[in-house]
Order: sequence, then structure tokens, then C-alpha cells
Amino acid sequence: MEDLLVGLGNVLSFSNLFFIAVGMTLGIFIGSMPGLSATMAIAILLPLTYGMDPATGISMLAALYMGAMYGGSILAILINTPGTPAAAASGLDGYKMTEKGQAGKALGISLVSSVVGGLIGAIVLLTIAPLLGEVALKIGAVELFAIAVLGITIISSLSAGSVVKGLLSGTLGLLISLIGMDLITGTPRFTFGNIYLFDGISFVVALIGLFSVPQALRLIETDKEAVEVSKIKDKILPSWKEFVSLRMTLLRSSVIGVFTGLIPGTGGDTASWFSYNEAKRFSKEKEKFGTGHAEGLAAPESANNAVVGGALVPTITLGIPGSSTTAVLLGGLMIHGIMPGPTLMTEHAGVAYTLLWAVFFSCFFLFALGLLYTKVAVGVTKVPSKVLAPIIILLCVIGTFAVHNSMVDVMIMLGFGILGYLMDKLNIPVSPMVVGLILGAMLDTSLHTSLKISGGDWMVFLSSPVAVILLIVALITVLQSTPFFGKLKSLVAK
Amino acid sequence: MKINAKKLSLTVFLPSLVLGLAACGGNNESGGEAKADENYPTKPISVIQGFDPGGGSDQLAQLTQPYLNEILDTTFTNEYVPGAAGAIAWTRLAQKTENDGYTLSITNSPMLMTNYIINEEFTYNLDDFDPIANVVTDPGIIVVASDSELETYEDFVKYLEENPGGLNVANSGVGGDDFFTQLKWMRETGLDMELIPYSGDGPSWQAVAGGEVEASFNNLGVVYSQVQAGNLKALAVFSEERMELLPDVPTVKELGHDVISGSARGYSAPKGLSEEVKQKLYDAFEQLKEDPEFVEGLEKVALPMDVKIGDEYAQFLKEDEELSREIWEDVKDEYEE
Repeated sequence: MEDLLVGLGNVLSFSNLFFIAVGMTLGIFIGSMPGLSATMAIAILLPLTYGMDPATGISMLAALYMGAMYGGSILAILINTPGTPAAAASGLDGYKMTEKGQAGKALGISLVSSVVGGLIGAIVLLTIAPLLGEVALKIGAVELFAIAVLGITIISSLSAGSVVKGLLSGTLGLLISLIGMDLITGTPRFTFGNIYLFDGISFVVALIGLFSVPQALRLIETDKEAVEVSKIKDKILPSWKEFVSLRMTLLRSSVIGVFTGLIPGTGGDTASWFSYNEAKRFSKEKEKFGTGHAEGLAAPESANNAVVGGALVPTITLGIPGSSTTAVLLGGLMIHGIMPGPTLMTEHAGVAYTLLWAVFFSCFFLFALGLLYTKVAVGVTKVPSKVLAPIIILLCVIGTFAVHNSMVDVMIMLGFGILGYLMDKLNIPVSPMVVGLILGAMLDTSLHTSLKISGGDWMVFLSSPVAVILLIVALITVLQSTPFFGKLKSLVAK
Repeated sequence: MKINAKKLSLTVFLPSLVLGLAACGGNNESGGEAKADENYPTKPISVIQGFDPGGGSDQLAQLTQPYLNEILDTTFTNEYVPGAAGAIAWTRLAQKTENDGYTLSITNSPMLMTNYIINEEFTYNLDDFDPIANVVTDPGIIVVASDSELETYEDFVKYLEENPGGLNVANSGVGGDDFFTQLKWMRETGLDMELIPYSGDGPSWQAVAGGEVEASFNNLGVVYSQVQAGNLKALAVFSEERMELLPDVPTVKELGHDVISGSARGYSAPKGLSEEVKQKLYDAFEQLKEDPEFVEGLEKVALPMDVKIGDEYAQFLKEDEELSREIWEDVKDEYEE
């Protein structure tokens, strides 16, 4: 308790608040650039903090994390070029709203949802972090497999229109995710002797190609103003009534975000798709999803910011990174001479609690700076297509190169761009492919590890209650999208 | 891409950073013609890192380079080229950089060698490098869950004697240092256990703490804080002598099995440095290891210092390569279907 107050005192110093604001500004900006994700942003700016006080430096990076999670969706909403994997889900309904002339409203919902998600995550972090930390340890390969299976079922709900095309897209995504070295056997798969393919295809790289390149081409083809929008005069912030109508979606999605954050190996990308799917499952207006529905935007937005608090829980309490971004943060702590681990909260209480409060206060900066940035960003839609399209391609190339400093990645990105363009022409949705790409490796590795531990016995998946529940939910999801479910429903109704 | 902590002031706004990234892409790093080796170094030294910022390599770089900057009166800049367990960076060091002493790389062993021992696709090898100095060696360690029935190393051995292959034991991935420690240990003791690979040291010990596997072959520096906090129990360590950090934990060697193993990190250059340049770098590391502040910095993050300079480092890598190759020949059929 005392530490908590000391942390509060620390964070309220001028320099800390200043650097939280700096981190937030950079985060929102970097996040909004295609390809520049939170993980990368932190990696790039980590060396900047080496000269700072550890608490200040780490607080800045945490704010940056929060900002980047939000920033990713701005361009996804405005011009359908998601800046982060997590934001691809926000683009589904967000861009549709922009097309309907509600760009301002969409950005407002995105901002408010992000702030709510961030705050819920931060409160969890400040209050019950030590209790939840253990959860991270309880999630093993068996449970991860069940989570991945449940995730794969999202493909069915994203396959609106043609189930066959959706499955085709999803399967292709799963296949592509298998490229690279098999973790369990060390065997390179589909690498054709090329060492640049040993780590597989980074899904950030694939995603930039799949979304942004076709969008740029589309802009050129139509050659009209991006969208006839930007009635920015309409209020950005949603009315209280709208906010209240979203409260269940926000709460549910934030809880999903916190838990997804807790689990090592899953982060914002997974959380946003899960929450989108659950929002749709519980919605009374399922058919509106994918057409510019507020719930479909609020869900992924609140989830991916709630991940920040969630992912920091095991990071702070046990020294286990809850997401790839927090893994870089942990590295940063080490470099500052602070040993992450269970002793962090006792031996380095000053730093730890300052960080916790920094996450909380960064939400307020998110609101203020996000609102400012939003007003500027809307201007993007006023840029003529023939100017905007080449800029998008340029940003794609820079963003992709920056992921691993590799030109090979740029080639791969352009390859996916062509694939995405063809899929667009054939009316094959790309979202199922993204889900396949995100979850494929996790599905593969967790299955193999589980079977190796059990000595090849498949019953191992029924030995964990958590896994059983998740697998049953997955089964229900699959059944829900078959004709069988309709018959069953009518039977029960009788 | 170069990131230089000193040069990047906070006032640099992102667009300029992004433009900088693009500009650096085509940067040519080859040195000039001038044979000014006596004056070495006259310009910044670039360090290629095969892993992401914030990882183990970067940690070593950040702990070491501020002191090297002063000793050599220059600036070390880091370039991150992650991928294929460091192999992309090391291939580049071997084949595409000038041997003028202005490009070095952090070399992790045994990863540096096991990469190409296991995968024929990797086209560099030890002969392409002039090893400069090893800096730290994080010894291997066997850990079990705090509530495990295996109280000691003897229990662990006895259990495996009675139940061959009866324990699931985690490592940080096929080809990694812990994987090879396991193979070395199994060869020395003649015992068998089930090797379960994870993606890194972290997931490997977490699987033990979560009760998914019975034990993990890991590294001292990684699990130290967990052992201190009582989340894990350390059975034995694979160092030459007991470690100061955990004085109560016996070495495997003193218990009768001659296995020394761990994850070492140091600096190497492309083959063919001039004698003057080499000597200057050797002297710098000689001076580094005497710096009390530097030593203290390593202790703070539980990284055991193990400075081996020049030929000693080269010899160490060579021996490790031979042993790893021998071990891999024995088991490779199991891994190559």
C-alpha cells in the first residue's frame, strides 16, 4: 500500500508526466504507420531510454505501448490500411463506417473504447495483479492448443457470404504460417534452402501486403476522392446514450483483452479477433457486423488496449512477458540493471509501482492526445487518391523494411500485396487468412508439444478443465454456423 | 539501420527517424583505403547483432559498450539484424563485411556453431571469423518445480535410472545451448529422458513452474530470480566451480559427471584483422575486465563474467564446435526424417 502511494508520488513528477506524454505521442504516431507496431516502436526507442532514470524510461515505453495499440486503428478506419495486426479487426467495421460518411464517429468510438479498455486493464494491474499473475503459469501447451482451436473457429464467423471462400482463405493462412523452422524437430519447412525463410513469414509483413497494397491499387482504380466523407463537423465523441449502449461490449471485450494479455504468447492481435467474434456472438444485431456497426468497432478497440494492463501483470509479478511487446520491455528493464522476476515488486518497488501508475495515467493522455491526433488524421481522407496511393505504398515499404531491416521482407510484402489484390478481385475475404496466419504457428506448436508431453496420447486434451471448456465452446461455434444448428433450434422451440 | 543512443536526442521527431531508416538502408559500411591501423579506431565501430533489441545480445552490448567507448575513445553503434537464430547476421559478418575492425558482431556460442552443424543451408563457419573476446558465460542449470519430489541432483539421476526416459525435461529449443547441454549430459551419464523443446529459456522454465514438465535445463542468469523467490528449485549447475550467486547448488562435475556447458556471449570480427587492430581490441577487453563498475553491472543482473581473449576464445569455440558436431552426429537421425 505504501509502495503504491510512493509510486503515485513518483509518477506525478513533472518529468515523468512529460515523458509519458512523449511516449504517448510517439506511440500513437508510430502505431498509425503501416507496419510499425508497438513491439517495434519499443524496440526502436529502447536505446533512447538507456540514458534515463529507469522508472521514467520504462513509464515512457509503457505509454508508448498504450498509444501504439490505439494508433494502429486510425488509418485502418480512415483508409483501410491497418497499422498493426490488432487493428485489422477494427478495420472490418471501422472502414465501413467511414464509407458511410461516419469517419468522425468511428474515430470517436475507437478512441473512447481504447480509453475504456486501457483503464480497465490498468485498474486490474493496480489492484489484483499478484492474484492473476499465477494464471500465466497455469496456461500450458494443452490450454494454448484449445485457445488456438477456438480462435480458428472465428474464421467461420468471418466468412460471411461464401463459406467455401472463407475456409479457402483461412486454410491458406494456416498453410503459410507453417513456413519456417519447426520448433520441435528443428526441421526447416518450405524454406527452399533460403535462410531468410527460416523464421517463417512474419504476419506483420503479410498483413501490410494483404491490406494496404490492394487498398492503394483500389484507390488508383476508382480515382475519386478517397471516400466522400469527413463531415468532421459531426461530433467525434459518441453521445452518452451511444456509450451506454456499448457498455456490455466494452466490458466483455476488455475482460477478454486482459486475459489474452495475461497468457504468454498471445497479445493484441489475438485479443482483437476474439473480442470481435464474441461481440458478434452476443449481439442482437449479428447481421450488422461487417457493415459499419459500432459494436464491431468498439470490441476490438477496447480489447487491444486492455491487453496492455493484462500483459504487464505476469511481466511485473513474475518476470514472464505476457506479450511480445512486454518481452522487449523486460529486456529494457534488464539493461537498466533491474532484474525482472518475482522480486521486482519488492526490491525495485519504486520502479514497479511507478510503471503501474504510468499505465493508468497514460489513458488520460491517450484521450487528450488521441482526440488531437484524430482531428489531424481525418485530413488524410481529403488527400486525392492519386497522391495518397503512392504514399501508402511508400509507407508500406518503409514499414516492412523496418520490421527486421530486411529487403527480403519487402519482397514478401509485395508478393502478399499481389495475392491480396487477386483475392479482392475474386471476392475472397482476407480476414480469415489473417486469423490463420496469427494462430497457425500457435496451433501447430502447442499440438506437437502437448502430444510430446503426453507421449502421443490425444486424451491429454481432456485432462485440463480449461481446455475442455474452450474446446466445447469451439465445437458450439462450429455447429452454430451449420444447418444442423438451425434444425436443433427449431426442435427445441417446439 | 543504426541506432545510436547518444546521437538521438529526444527532440528528434519521428518522421526524421523514419526517413533516417530509409536512408540507412543502402548504407555502405566499407572502410577507407587508409592503412591507419596504428591510429585505430578513428571512426565509430558497428556491432551487428543477430537478435532483437532488448534480448540477451543487446543486454551484453549495453552493459559492455559504454566502457569500450571510453577505453577505445570511439563510439560503438548497434545494428540489429535478427533472424534464423542469429545466422543472418553472422552470414553477413562472414561474407559481406570488411575486415578492418570497424564491423564486429556479438557471437553467441554454442549457437554460432550449432546453427551450421544442424543446418546445411547456413554457409558460414568458424573459419570465417577472428574471435576477439568472450565476455560472459551463463552456465547451464537443472531446475525443477519448488514442490517437486526430486529434492536433489541424486534424486533426479536415480529416478531416470529406475525409469529410463521417464521424465519430460524442457529446453529452450532444438539446436539451442540447453538442448546441447541435455545431449552432452545424456551421453556422459548414459541416461535417457524425454526432451521437450520450447521457444526460449522463458517458456522452458515456465513449463516447469506450471507443472507441465518435470524439469528444465536452463541458464543460471535466466532462472536466478525465480530460484531466489522460491518458484523453482535448482538441482545442479554445469559450471567448472560452484557459482557465487548460488553457493549451495552443487556442480554436476563435483557429483561425478564431467559436463561443463552454458551459453556464452562475446565479440568476433570477420577473418583477417591486422595484428595492430586485433591487439588493440584484445587490450580493450583486458582493461574492461578489471573495471570494477563493469563487473558490478554484470553481477546486478546475475550474468557471470567469463572473459577469454583472442586465441583462448578461438580455442574454446573450436573445442565446443568439435564436441557439438560429435554429439549431433550421434542423434541427428532422430531429428531428420
